[in-house]
Amino acid sequence: MKQSYDFNIKQIKNLSLEEQNSRQKNLDLFYKSGFPTKQVEDWKFMDLNLILNKNFESISNEVNFESSKELKTIKNFEHNYIYLNNGKIISTSFVYEETNKILIKDFDQKETINPDPSNTLTLLNNALSLGGFSLEVTKNYKLKKPLVIYNYFSKNLKNKILNNKNSIKLNEGSELMLIDYNSGQEQSNFIKNTIDTVSLDENAVLKNILIQESKSNGHFYKYIKSSLKSGSNYESYILSSGLKLNKIEIEINLNKDNSRCSIYSALNLLEDQHQEIKTRINHNSPNCKSYQKIKNVLNDKSRGVYQGKIFVEKIAQKTDAYQLSKALILNDDSEFDAKPELEIYADDVKCSHGSTSGSIDSDAVHYLMTRGIPKKEAVKLLINGFLNEILENITISEVKFFLEKTLERQINEH
Amino acid sequence: MLTIKDLKATINEKSILKGLDLDIKPGEVHAIMGPNGSGKSTLANILSGKNGYEIEGEIYFDGTNLNDLKIEERAQKGIFLAFQYPLEIPGVNTNNFLKTSLNSVRKARGEKELDTLTFLKLIKEKAKELNIDEKFLSRQLNVGFSGGEKKKNEILQMKLLEPKLSILDETDSGLDIDALRIVADGVNSYKNKENAFLIITHYQRLLDYIKPDYIHVLSGGKIIKTGNADLGKQLEKTGYENLS
Repeated sequence: MKQSYDFNIKQIKNLSLEEQNSRQKNLDLFYKSGFPTKQVEDWKFMDLNLILNKNFESISNEVNFESSKELKTIKNFEHNYIYLNNGKIISTSFVYEETNKILIKDFDQKETINPDPSNTLTLLNNALSLGGFSLEVTKNYKLKKPLVIYNYFSKNLKNKILNNKNSIKLNEGSELMLIDYNSGQEQSNFIKNTIDTVSLDENAVLKNILIQESKSNGHFYKYIKSSLKSGSNYESYILSSGLKLNKIEIEINLNKDNSRCSIYSALNLLEDQHQEIKTRINHNSPNCKSYQKIKNVLNDKSRGVYQGKIFVEKIAQKTDAYQLSKALILNDDSEFDAKPELEIYADDVKCSHGSTSGSIDSDAVHYLMTRGIPKKEAVKLLINGFLNEILENITISEVKFFLEKTLERQINEH
Repeated sequence: MLTIKDLKATINEKSILKGLDLDIKPGEVHAIMGPNGSGKSTLANILSGKNGYEIEGEIYFDGTNLNDLKIEERAQKGIFLAFQYPLEIPGVNTNNFLKTSLNSVRKARGEKELDTLTFLKLIKEKAKELNIDEKFLSRQLNVGFSGGEKKKNEILQMKLLEPKLSILDETDSGLDIDALRIVADGVNSYKNKENAFLIITHYQRLLDYIKPDYIHVLSGGKIIKTGNADLGKQLEKTGYENLS
């Protein structure tokens, strides 16, 4: 299928010869295997190559970065923002902060990321990556307001692929709530291949919330690699319902004592949407904590997948690791797959995992209907109750309210 | 208000009700007593619209054949069932549920839906009358509530939705004496000439607080005896076995 790709490094401007060669090397490696197929273990639930062949006539990386849309900011809560078009910074606003405490710039493409050779999407990203941002918060600075990343896309992205890299570094004792916000409504099929690197120094706290604003024909792949030092905390919330195809891979390295992470996901999938969350939590140090709660509601012919791996090193005693996946299957044509994996080399650890899937509780629907609530509304109320639970730890009430409304809208889209 | 003629009900090929007649007029309180397995809860379930029963006979509510009404329409038209075992529904906030319920009913009745502030004011008043702690209203529906709290929550819903016919299915079971009095006071304060009650119970004690106009004894799927409030006291002494 190589012939249908039109990937061109030459059109990327201002590259040194060394960069050109390095990118070409990555591209050549990509071409050897192409987009992942079901034969690759990590992709056993999604034949990306097949899906792309079906939905894309050709794929090219020729992308124009000019912004055409006016930014519409969220009105529900005060926030800072970074406005990205096709992944490139258009403008930023940090009016609520001491600006010398925050460093924001275009991502330096010379910073390469060592690819996992079996993941051809990282190879492709290394070859074609453009735009992106790098963000650093200085020591002990706690942002007063959340930071929203507005992801906008050009109208004419049909058959295009965007490759971006971003990096987020929180220095010792700093804190940030980062809301990754996709505006959505893209009609044409396009691919977005993103790599985020997150680094949290001692006692830093990052809350990362991913929101899809509305239905989109985007095919998204995101790889997040994070490294945590002692006492730091990484919380991730995934509310990406609406994308046609989405795979989020999160690798979290709990590298030092008492670091902790949690991943919460609430998805209401419709039509033939396919969303996959794959996590790998590496407990590399003692006394670390990880928590994962993944919730999926499957309508129509949609498909949800959760692959969650917890890896505990021999020295990582007193590890406390938990993962739970729950799915509500509302249609016989929909499907949910869960693949929990535990790999434990330490002997004094607490690790648990669970996975349940079932249909909606008909007695509960009946109860609500006896209170005058029509069936459709009763089901929505129950779905909402099922998904809403993951928001209970969001402490900023305006943000929580906004997220509740987001979920409600994603549920009402059906 | 409610007329039931020769009602027969079967579930999983097992015959439960075998020809039941009942006539309830506005302003009346009817009690149904009877031994375990006599079909009391089946009657309540059928009136609320629960699926799974094969039904023969006629049930008319305010002139409408109940068979023609969906479950939610029965509630909207004014039938309320206080459940014997109110469900715990995780994730669903009690206030949010109550507001959705009230507004669904108001909408169907052609009344204006209440905004959040007006609703909250109303629900706080009603909760206070029943001695329900406001904290319960912001919790998940019935999750972790004690038996008594769940039953009080049912009566709260009744008072909020203002039904014409309230069916209380063993609302007294699991209540201590104080909760029983609060529930009974709740019912008595709502009772008027326009509405009616059907109280299903095993015991006389609830009827000491809510005085029925009629007591029916349901046994073997039929009403075998009807009397006034004294029948309950008599049953307490003699039991069901010596009847008929």
